[in-house]
Amino acid sequence: MKYILLAGLCSAMAFNGTSQREIEYLEYDLDNGIHVILHEEHATPIVAVSVLYHVGSKNEQADRTGFAHFFEHLLFEGSANIERGEYSELVEKNGGTLNANTSQDRTFYYEILPSNQLELGIWLESERMLHANVEITGIETQRSVVKEEKRQRVDNQPYASFITEMFSRMFKKHPYNWVPIGSMEHLDAAKEEDYVNFYRTFYVPANATLSIAGDIDIEETKAWINKYFSSIPKGEAINLYRDVENLSDEEFLKEYGVDRSTFDLKNFGMSTDSKAKEIFNKYSATAIEIPRPEKANEPLTGIVKDIVYDNIQLPALFMGYSFPEQSHPDFHALEMMNDVLSGGASSRINKSLVEKQQIAQFAFCFAYGLEDAGVGIFAAIAAQGKDLDSVQMAFDDQITLIKDELISEAEFEKIRNQYENQFISTNSTIAGIAETLADNHVYSGGAEKINTELSEYLAVTREDIQRVAKKYLTQDARIILHYLPMEEKSDKK
Amino acid sequence: MKKYIIALGLFVPTILFGQIDRSIRPEAAPAPTINIKDSKVFTTENGITVILSENHKIPRVSYNLVMGSDPKLEKSKAGLSSIAGTLVMSGTSNRSKDDLDNEVDNIGATLHADNNSIYMSSLTKHMTKGLTLMSDVLMNANFPQSEVDRIITQNESNLTSTKSDAGSMASNATSSANFPKGHPYGEIMTFESLENIDRSSIVEYYNMAFSPKGSYLVVVGDITLEETKELVQTYFGNWKGKAPHKENWGTGSFNAGNNVSFVNKPGAVQSVISVSFSMAITPSDPDYLKLKVLNNIMGAGGFASRLMQNLREDKAYTYGCYSRLNITDDGSWFSAGGNFRNEVTDSAITQILFELDRIIDDYVTDKELDLAKSSMAGSFGRSLERPSTVARFALNIIKNDLPKDYYQTYLKQLEAITKQDLLDVAQKYWTGSKCNIVVVGNEEVIPTLLQFDSDGEIEELDAFGNEVVEKIPSDLTADEIIENYLAAVIPNVKAKKRKKIFKKIKSMEVVIEMTSAQVPFPITSKNAWMSPNINASLTEGKGMVFSSSYSDGITGQQQAMGIGKSEMTPEEIAVANKSMGIVPEYNYGKSGMEYEVIGIEKFEKKECYVLKLNDGKSITFDYYDRTSFMKLGTMSIETQGEETTQATQTYDNYVEMNGILFPTMVKLSTGQANLEGKVVSRIINGEIDFESYKK
Repeated sequence: MKYILLAGLCSAMAFNGTSQREIEYLEYDLDNGIHVILHEEHATPIVAVSVLYHVGSKNEQADRTGFAHFFEHLLFEGSANIERGEYSELVEKNGGTLNANTSQDRTFYYEILPSNQLELGIWLESERMLHANVEITGIETQRSVVKEEKRQRVDNQPYASFITEMFSRMFKKHPYNWVPIGSMEHLDAAKEEDYVNFYRTFYVPANATLSIAGDIDIEETKAWINKYFSSIPKGEAINLYRDVENLSDEEFLKEYGVDRSTFDLKNFGMSTDSKAKEIFNKYSATAIEIPRPEKANEPLTGIVKDIVYDNIQLPALFMGYSFPEQSHPDFHALEMMNDVLSGGASSRINKSLVEKQQIAQFAFCFAYGLEDAGVGIFAAIAAQGKDLDSVQMAFDDQITLIKDELISEAEFEKIRNQYENQFISTNSTIAGIAETLADNHVYSGGAEKINTELSEYLAVTREDIQRVAKKYLTQDARIILHYLPMEEKSDKK
Repeated sequence: MKKYIIALGLFVPTILFGQIDRSIRPEAAPAPTINIKDSKVFTTENGITVILSENHKIPRVSYNLVMGSDPKLEKSKAGLSSIAGTLVMSGTSNRSKDDLDNEVDNIGATLHADNNSIYMSSLTKHMTKGLTLMSDVLMNANFPQSEVDRIITQNESNLTSTKSDAGSMASNATSSANFPKGHPYGEIMTFESLENIDRSSIVEYYNMAFSPKGSYLVVVGDITLEETKELVQTYFGNWKGKAPHKENWGTGSFNAGNNVSFVNKPGAVQSVISVSFSMAITPSDPDYLKLKVLNNIMGAGGFASRLMQNLREDKAYTYGCYSRLNITDDGSWFSAGGNFRNEVTDSAITQILFELDRIIDDYVTDKELDLAKSSMAGSFGRSLERPSTVARFALNIIKNDLPKDYYQTYLKQLEAITKQDLLDVAQKYWTGSKCNIVVVGNEEVIPTLLQFDSDGEIEELDAFGNEVVEKIPSDLTADEIIENYLAAVIPNVKAKKRKKIFKKIKSMEVVIEMTSAQVPFPITSKNAWMSPNINASLTEGKGMVFSSSYSDGITGQQQAMGIGKSEMTPEEIAVANKSMGIVPEYNYGKSGMEYEVIGIEKFEKKECYVLKLNDGKSITFDYYDRTSFMKLGTMSIETQGEETTQATQTYDNYVEMNGILFPTMVKLSTGQANLEGKVVSRIINGEIDFESYKK
């Protein structure tokens, strides 16, 4: 299961954007708080069923990092009605595929199925939400798997630790301080009950967006959603349900003061026992408080310069700037500034650092936008025999230029054309549409952004781009990381 | 967040939902029908096969032009096609690279090229501009020297980076193991080969590979057949070129047993493991689909596949373990593997080999077969969402000569596959213990790998799949090494006495009997020498003489099967004289043999001093044990035209005769054969029938 620690590398090019083709959709809330978005499209007989949970690594405690991503793994381990290992099998044997990913801000699960298996997809996701298996066997297996994932994707990959190194210096207070993969020591130290509590807090209906797209019949889909998702208890009642299912009779009695048997899981909340009904109503009415950090507000105040030694051959430079959060009005202008610098073969950084001066093997920048803050990253791997100071000087020249001079009309037209092309080309798959709709709903002020975002980009002016360059590319407040080959460390000692 | 409308207990729910039994799993609705739209195909006058898949959902069009040539050996210029492919986009006679890049980005288009294709995609409204650029690149690429220099320098840095990229190193080692030298897939760019690539060879490659004859143009998107015909004529009608290069590359090589190669990656926390072998199959073979189902069960079928279940879900050795079929017209192979933490490297290999054996030995289960079929059918259905899929189908039908309705009937063919079919293809194409096992990782894992290698010898490879030759400078001069060697083979006497013992020998005849797995009968090899300079040799078997030679220092004759008999030239006699005698080293000073020490290397797992000899015809390397100074072997390289052949002889079981130690076991290996030889007689100062050498 992928997680998107490095997705930022691609996000400079790929947009979760909108398209000129109007995307039609329907949205509504269930009583238990689940937000539902449906998009109907019959070109191919397939459907995408997805659930976005508004929980990412930023919701973790500082001594329990890596939990959100760990859950992404754990929640494939089955449920009260699905055996261990059976979850993916059910999807695959019915001709579907499934996966999930985790970022600082979200955990996203999806299945793509033949359209005659839509009900199965809805049932599977409802099982995951209501009563996934959060227990020791699965925890232990997935703990080892996640460790391998970290070794493969971070520890054994040249330069791959740069996001970790950058974010830990950029955010001292906000939980963006750590990245989704988190700490293996924390996962080891955690007890089963820590995991259970995480599930009870974040995997609840009010924290979820159900987005379905493809070859569907709206009325039929709504009926299945009603059957499987509306039946998931609201507020704290979901945890009451989980306790009825998991606690022993004694434990339950001690906790709730009634017999467990007064509850009927097949008809939860309709108990004939008045005491049980009272408890159910009380818990249903008690909202679950979902802890969320305050927006990060800790811009850099000076230059932080550091060396990181890695198993690499060519040195690399990574520079980080404080950018605003992705929903900030300046963010579109920053992304377009980024494209002037780094979008396509004719972009300024590629032409100057890679082709003309030939001091970098590979150079780019991107605007890393998150819910609570953003980071502007400039990165270059030095060409053989070139030093990082000259690479930095070349970046600085480009930064000075874009701050001092308006970009040309021709360049402006170029990036606008690139945006138009990108927006028309994305949303060509139903899975992509389901994801964009859900993302926009949670992070960008509404699903409708899928149809309006291009015009927002096209409203950005050349002056806006210069203004944000001046405002955010602060040369006296940035992080400068030098990645050097491990051998040089021992040489110096 | 605003959308978190949390009810604060303001109302008590009435009936939220009815009864539900969640343990009842939903049934599937009736299966949807899958429609595959037909592609349109036509051929142009200059030889392009155009395949159009119309789809007007999005106002975009893409053009993918794929050339029809087969790969060609690059030899000392390995990497040439890849460099040439990168440089196709480096400017044309009409546009500099800067102009080209700018014009592409200005319309938000994509235009890229590689060694075998050019691809362009753009919004429909920018299509003609895009095609103008694409056809300019195709017909007028001009490879400016400055760009050639830049790309070569950039590739040098890339090669340096490869040394820290375990995945690339594993893939290089896997290619060179399955496709040894002489097959294009085994050719890997190195610093040395990069140095040999120049502008003229790049232009030559481009002229050879980029030609309309036999090429395919795949057009997908918002365009009609009429428009396509017109545009293809306008933009590609004038394109000319040679007939495509056709060459049959056969298959990769097959092992006799498991072979382990190791690539060192200092500081690695995981081992990248690749277990692979060649397969004799091409994409048009009807067995292909069966193999795909088999491979789906083995390790390509997601979480449910055997490798994933065993190595990830059961043992948690890895984040992912997969297998892959690579089936092409020019060579096919299977590979399985992933990334595993250092401590479980050997256990992971054991399990991968176990799964290979298991799938070859026994039927897959019904459940597995059903799952594989359903998941492949599902993936087939999903793939139809992309308009390019339909075009790819049409291209495959043409290129691989598949039945016209291959994809229309794909699901039926899939459904018809049985367990027996899978066992049959497993046994026909797969191999349990004849694999190439490549491990890229930390040196500390090496000792755990020995158990897997059938000859107990682990080859250490560099980042580019070549055997690591560790060169340690020699601490002795060439003459000192020879002196030590002479002392070793004429032991327990002083230097002066050695010369005497040596001079007492006036003639010697040695008969060696050789056997080989590749030759069904024994071969006899005889060598004779008589002072001062008669030299003779003969190789025969089953009554046939394979080769013979005889020279007396001034004149001589030679004969070889298939070539015939000839008088030796004075040059050939001079060459023969240089390595004459029972211990030729005694005469290097006088005979004119050029010799120098090149360092210390491992030979037959022992550290040896290496002497490089040049007799004017071929280069030979002699290996002297660093501690005992015995001669352990000789490697000779002969070059004829572009072909070089390499032969290695090893010497063993030295036995004393007339005060001198001689080897009694000789092994000879060349690219084609391995021969084991035993000295059956060695006669010193006896009668020699030189006539018998003149056959």
